[in-house]
This record gives sequence, C-alpha cells and structure tokens, in this order.
Amino acid sequence: MNDAPARALDAAPVPAAPKVKSRGLFPAGRTGAAMRAALLPILVIVAWQLAGSGGSLAGGVLPTPDRVWDAWVVWAFGPQGMGLNPYSGTWLSNVLFSSMRVAQGFVLAMAIGIPAGVMIGWSRAVSGTVDPTIQLLRPIPITAWLPFSIAVFGIQDMGAIFLIALGGFYPVVVNATHGARDVDRNWIRAAEMMGASRFDVLRRVVLPAALPAIFTGLRIGLGIAWTAVIVSEMVAVKSGLGYVLWDAYYVGRMDVVIADMLSIGAMGLLSDRLIVTVEHWALRWRRLQSASR
Amino acid sequence: MGTIRFREVVKTYPGKQPVIALDRVNLDIGEGEFVALLGPSGCGKSTLLNLIAGFEEMTSGALSFNGGTVDSPGPERAVVFQEAALLPWLTVEQNIAFGPSVQKRPRAEYEPKIRELLRLVGLERFAHSLPSQLSGGMRQRVGIARALVMDPKALLMDEPFGALDAQTRMSMQQLLLDVWQSLGTTVLFVTHDIDEAILLADRICIMSARPGRITREITVDLPRPRSVDQLTDPAFIRHKAAIMAEMREAQKEHA
Ligand SMILES: Nc1ncnc2c1ncn2[C@@H]1O[C@H](COP(=O)(O)OP(=O)(O)OP(=O)(O)O)[C@@H](O)[C@H]1O
Ligand SMILES: [Mg+2]
Repeated sequence: MNDAPARALDAAPVPAAPKVKSRGLFPAGRTGAAMRAALLPILVIVAWQLAGSGGSLAGGVLPTPDRVWDAWVVWAFGPQGMGLNPYSGTWLSNVLFSSMRVAQGFVLAMAIGIPAGVMIGWSRAVSGTVDPTIQLLRPIPITAWLPFSIAVFGIQDMGAIFLIALGGFYPVVVNATHGARDVDRNWIRAAEMMGASRFDVLRRVVLPAALPAIFTGLRIGLGIAWTAVIVSEMVAVKSGLGYVLWDAYYVGRMDVVIADMLSIGAMGLLSDRLIVTVEHWALRWRRLQSASR
Repeated sequence: MGTIRFREVVKTYPGKQPVIALDRVNLDIGEGEFVALLGPSGCGKSTLLNLIAGFEEMTSGALSFNGGTVDSPGPERAVVFQEAALLPWLTVEQNIAFGPSVQKRPRAEYEPKIRELLRLVGLERFAHSLPSQLSGGMRQRVGIARALVMDPKALLMDEPFGALDAQTRMSMQQLLLDVWQSLGTTVLFVTHDIDEAILLADRICIMSARPGRITREITVDLPRPRSVDQLTDPAFIRHKAAIMAEMREAQKEHA
C-alpha cells in the first residue's frame, strides 16, 4: 500500500529523498525501477515467443505472443459486424459492459458494507444482531450463489451485479468492522470530554480512524468483484469480458482467450490504482505520519 | 464552580481476580485549587481521575462535581491525556476547534480564541500542521489548548508531562503555572514526580497501592506566583525533604 511515492501536504516541507546509488544493472531512480520491473515480463514473453513454432506451442493449443497481439488488435480496432469474426471491433464495448457491472456492484458493496461494518465495530448491539448472520453466510463462496442468482434475477445484468456486490461486500464489511473496533480508546474519550454526542464520535472519530482498514477492505473487495463479474458473465450474462472469454474458448480461439485474460488483468490493475489514488488522497495524514517516524 | 468531592468512593475492576483499584477514597478539592495526586505506578491515580472525568463508573460511594453527580464526560471537566491523544487526521487548529465545533458554538466566537490560545502555547506557526509533525512537547501544548478552549471549570491532567524530556517538561510546567495563575481553574494533576507536585500544587495527595487509598495530604505553602527557578530554593528543598519523609512514613504504615 505504500508503493507509490509519498507526497507531502502543500504546507509541509519534507526533506528531499536521499540520492540512491545505482545498484547493478539499472540506473538509479524511477527509470531504473521501471526497467527492473519490466525485466521479468519481457523475459517471459520472449521465451514464450521463442518456444513456439509456426505461431503456436504446446501442440498447437497455445498461440504465441504475436498471434495474441494480432487477435487483440482485430478485437479492439477491427470492423464490426463482418460475420467472419464475431469479436471484431467489440473489445471496448465488452470492457465497458464488465466495468459498468463492476462499478455498479461495487458501489452497492461499499454503500452497504462501509456503514454496516462501521456500525458493527462501533456498537455492541448492532454487532450482536448482524455480525453472526454475516459470519454464517460468508463461507458460502460467491460461485455457489450463481444458481440462486440466475433463478432470482434471470439471465441479465442484475444477477451479475448481485454477485459482484455480494463478493465485494464481505471484505469491505469485515475490514470496516475491524477498523471501527480498534479505535484508540483515548481518542473516543477525548471526543466525549469535548462534548461530542454518540453520533459525533461515530462520524468524526470512529469513521476517520477506521478509514485505513476500510481502504484495505475496498482493495480486496474490488479484486473479488472482478472475479465475480467474470464468473457471472461466463454463466449468466451474454456480454462482457467473461462472456467473450468462455465463448472464445468454446470455438477454439485461444488467441482471443489470452487477449481477454490480459484485458481483465489490465482492468483489475487499473481499478486498483484508482482506489489507491483515492486512498492516498484520503489518508494524507497517515503518509506524513509514517514519513516522520 | 469547579469543586470536586469524593466520599468513600470504591472502584473495583471485575474479573477472575477482581482488582480493588480504589478503596474508600475521600477527597475534597475547592474552587480554583491546584491539587496534585502523587503515588507509585498502579496505585489508582488514573482510576481516580477517570471517575471524575466520567470515563468510568465507581462501584460504590458518592462522587460530585459542583454539587451534582457525575455520569458522563463533559467539557466542564476537560482532560489532558498523557500522550495528548490528539486526532491524527486533524491539524493542530482543527484539533483545538473540535470541542467548540461539536458543541455547535458559533465559529466567530471560537476562532479568535483559538488564535489567542495558539499564541499562548507558542504554536501559531504550526496551526496547520498535523500532530505527527510535532514534537511530544508541542503535542501536549495542543492538548492543553484543546482543553482550555472550552473554558472548563476543572482541568484533569493525567501525567501530562510524563513522557517528556526534563527540559521540555520544565518549560511545560512553567506554561501551566502561568496559565493557571491567570485563569484560576480547579486543577487535578496526576504525577509520580515529587518535584513536579511541589512546584505546581497547593496541596499534594499521596496515594498508596493495593488497595489504592489517599494516605496523606500535604499543603504546599510556597508563595505564588511560582516559577521553575524555585526548584533550587531552600524553601523548596525543605518542602521536598518533608514530603519525602511523609512518603516514607506512609509507605511504612502500609507495608
Ligand atoms: N480496565 C481495567 N481493568 C482491570 N484492572 C484495571 C483496569 N484499569 C486499571 N486497572 C488496575 O487498577 C489498578 C490501578 O490502575 P491505575 O491505572 O489507576 O494506576 P495508576 O496509578 O494510574 O498507575 P500509572 O502510574 O502506572 O499510570 C492497577 O492495579 C491496574 O492494574
Ligand atoms: Mg495512570
């Protein structure tokens, strides 16, 4: 979580990072770090390309990287509706379908999970009435909810959104609960002695204090949300990256399958970065804290 | 206005082996009086302070503040914590404004006051800093400003300077002396530093452990206003010798 460079608040002068001497192959600084990070993926791709012959390996099952790239280019930029290639030109719309579902489901998971978790962690009464039920349902994997979801919501968006929301909900609620439960007792006492009502304490002490844990939950939850969207699109919806993934496998288009997998990974990474960015903004006070320790 | 009264107050922490933290404590603190609570670790000083602060409930006895019962924390009994207990996501200014703002006091009323307090504790330049950017002594000064901004009738301080180095501690003691001299609020000050107790207090209550009781009360009749320079005065040394004798005596009786 602290892999992004720490930036100081405008007002706070922070000493410049000490110059790091270059170690080994790579130059110092950001460029060197990027080069170091890219090394392994490049090696894998080169090895994969060299291992194949005539555009495929493993007895013709796996396409080489250049084939995957070609398939993706057609999928992304090819003309639509040409019959021969049903995927041509549909990449963006499928990415958007999946992303929209993740966004809707995940907003739902946050809207319920954050308040629920904070309330559970803060109030013994709420914890006693709600937490056991959550703990009882939590071991049921979201994949086991698929038939239920299809039966209730049918083959359409709502089914996928339900699964995503459910999958994202658990880590969000559990982490928010921990965050709200672990609040320093003296912070609460200080607020109370300053005249804060129970609601003030909840909103102005417990919630901000739980925020770091909440963000941890959001990141885990978002990962599960992507799993949920792919699973439900493979089974219960007729569009999106998950649908294309399964469909392409069925007709033997492994090049599209791999291009699809990489697309899912890229979207997952992108959405995670989005949360990390918000987190860095919301928890500025914490970065300064760790910088000064 | 700021009187504190303990009558036969008992506090037991339940558990497999219940702890009698306070055993029939009697204590009267008058309006504007500065009382230090002195005793070894674990003798129940914090427990006593937490009861009058309203953080914990007594097991039996009678406890009153200004003649009324104490059932919850409130801004008329401001607490200064040992580790300041500032909210780390709020700036210095926001931490001080927390009380007035949850009490829905008008901003125009408390903002000038905060500026004045920041000047008083020497933190004008740090109004927009976060607690983590401050030293321990600076944080404690914010803790004091946060308490004073509410115009409390009593200040309850639990080893507020215990975690500070000797030099910072002395400048904080002077600050507190000056502030108290001009405001005249009732102060209950927990410490295990004899010098600190003598320097600050009108009266020192010595506590002993297991069970926690007040065993001696000693009046400090050093002239006011006081300053940390008096730490080496012959009168101060005489007081210290007397108090140490009393403490030894108390220890013998309760051994
Ligand atoms: N919440 C609690 N539950 C059980 N026992 C407690 C609790 N708080 C305090 N005690 C016990 O009560 C006794 C008095 O504790 P207290 O914190 O009041 O001591 P103290 O004089 O403030 O000590 P110190 O100088 O170390 O802060 C101790 O024996 C302690 O173990
Ligand atoms: Mg204590």
